Amino acid sequence: MAETIQQKQSIKEFIATIPFNKIGIKDLLNFEKTPQNMLVAVITLAFLAFFVLGVATYLMHGHHAYNVTREHPWGLLIAVYIFFVVSSTGLCIVGSLGDVFGFKDYEMISKRAIFGSIVTIMAGFAVIAFEIGHPVTMLIYNVLSPGLTSAIWWMGTLYGLYLTFMIIEFVFLLKHNMKMAKFFGLTGLLVGLAAHSNLGGVFGFLNARTISNGVFYPTYFILTAFITGIFIAFIMMGFRYKLEFPENAKVMLTNLAKIQGLLISILIFFVTWKFLTDIYGDMPNRADVAIHILGSWTFWAEVVLAMLIPLFIILKDMGKNLTGMFWASLSGMVGVFFMRYNLVHDTQLKPLQMMKTTEYELAPSWVNYFPSMTEIMISLGGLGLCILLYYVGTKLFNLDADTHH
Amino acid sequence: MARYGMALDYKNCINCKACEVACKEENGILMGADKHRIWVGVKEIEGEYPFLSIVSSSFEPSQCQHCDDAPCQEVCPTNATYYDENGVVRVNAEKCILCSYCMNACPYDARYVDDRTMTVDKCNFCSDTRLARGETTTACQNTCPTKVRTFGDLDDPNSEISELLRTREHFSLKSHLGTKPKLFYLT
Ligand code: SF4
Ligand code: SF4
Ligand code: SF4
Repeated sequence: MAETIQQKQSIKEFIATIPFNKIGIKDLLNFEKTPQNMLVAVITLAFLAFFVLGVATYLMHGHHAYNVTREHPWGLLIAVYIFFVVSSTGLCIVGSLGDVFGFKDYEMISKRAIFGSIVTIMAGFAVIAFEIGHPVTMLIYNVLSPGLTSAIWWMGTLYGLYLTFMIIEFVFLLKHNMKMAKFFGLTGLLVGLAAHSNLGGVFGFLNARTISNGVFYPTYFILTAFITGIFIAFIMMGFRYKLEFPENAKVMLTNLAKIQGLLISILIFFVTWKFLTDIYGDMPNRADVAIHILGSWTFWAEVVLAMLIPLFIILKDMGKNLTGMFWASLSGMVGVFFMRYNLVHDTQLKPLQMMKTTEYELAPSWVNYFPSMTEIMISLGGLGLCILLYYVGTKLFNLDADTHH
Repeated sequence: MARYGMALDYKNCINCKACEVACKEENGILMGADKHRIWVGVKEIEGEYPFLSIVSSSFEPSQCQHCDDAPCQEVCPTNATYYDENGVVRVNAEKCILCSYCMNACPYDARYVDDRTMTVDKCNFCSDTRLARGETTTACQNTCPTKVRTFGDLDDPNSEISELLRTREHFSLKSHLGTKPKLFYLT
């Protein structure tokens, strides 16, 4: 009895000693009123308003407010969920460079990146909650009758665990307890990577969808997560230092840019070979889908914005043009959004009834989908939520590296 | 326990759609909804008048294949999709979270969202209705005027369906995917 009281006491004390700034609404409104900042603020508020509107529409009309169909059951919200959790995994990788793997140069971004990984996955959960038809049922039966052969079960469960570990790691980082931060950071990273490759597995396991089936997505997801994490690192640091980076940030960002150059090159190599193998031999339901994808503008948006522009900026000055990298990273994130959207949409391009042994029906040759207003509003709302949470975090916590060790 | 399957003498199908009506009636399926639980696929006549290839036109009734190795069951995160004691692939609406993974994973496009419960539904071989009452027929089979459908226990060597599968050539759809469908098309 006495022991449990003592334990409770120490937990209370542990929580009470987490360093944070006491802030009020006033502090939140207290930012430099430059035109850029005002623009970001207005956009964020607009996105949050969209979120409320979108959710209200969804609550009134349910899935009818979405343009998803029987042939295309996964729409924009799934893509946006993936976008956010990829960002989270990526930030977790970037954050781990310093505090898990001990690369000193990267320690200055650890706390910020780990906090970013928490807010991005929360935004992802907020979006997916309105896509899953019955989220409460999910919480109950995920536990009561777990579908252990389901990649969605593993992905969801592991991401839940991952979020917990990330929060614990962040708390230890705030408390300068580097040993514990490292332990939870490493555990969180491993769980996060497992969760993330399971998300790739959600698609990779689809035997019925020849274009997605196989090992490609589970591995590609990890690679693109790292790339996404670096893009966001540039964006966060760019805002933090208003593009006037101190010396140590310059060193770190230049290194990150070089790593990014390598990663994007590998990605281009991956994607090229994916398409070559998809098209080679003209296998039905794979080659035709791949060729169709090559003809879609969203694919080229992905290639140009997320691969070519950033790679060009990196190669031009060997990663030293940090302002350029900031803008290239914004372009990169738009590209990454298309990457996620394409992945979801392309998987469902081919109507399945046509693929029966005997073709018996003149099905449409491609399944069409365009997101509804509600889907778009909830998606932008997720972004608004993410920016808001991050902004509150910058006020609430000291996200810079602590100067005294 | 039984292992139910269905054989379809699909070349006899005349596209009268009596099975679709009977299924809706028996199982309370949404009226007017297309391809809910069951459908008849139509392959149009090929060629341009007067060079029409009459043999090219065919009707192919279909529904859930009640796969022995069902992708929809494997991917279901809450086990809402399960095999019952008769080998019928069923959905427990209570547990379905509408993640739609099964709709994406089913190679036969056999699943749809029931707008009333907002959960996923599909053919269940009349398990809630006829089988539950102890009958071993399905509504679609019972009503078919040209006797396209034969429903029965695949494990019982004396059943009509076992006899048919022994004596007639048949194929199943997309069998290369390893789903082991229990719908058999007689040739
Ligand atoms: S046909 Fe589709 S819904 Fe039916 S058991 Fe097979 S995979 Fe599942
Ligand atoms: S939609 Fe329902 S039945 Fe289908 S996989 Fe998800 S929980 Fe299972
Ligand atoms: S077996 Fe029953 S539930 Fe299935 S299609 Fe036929 S009538 Fe409908």
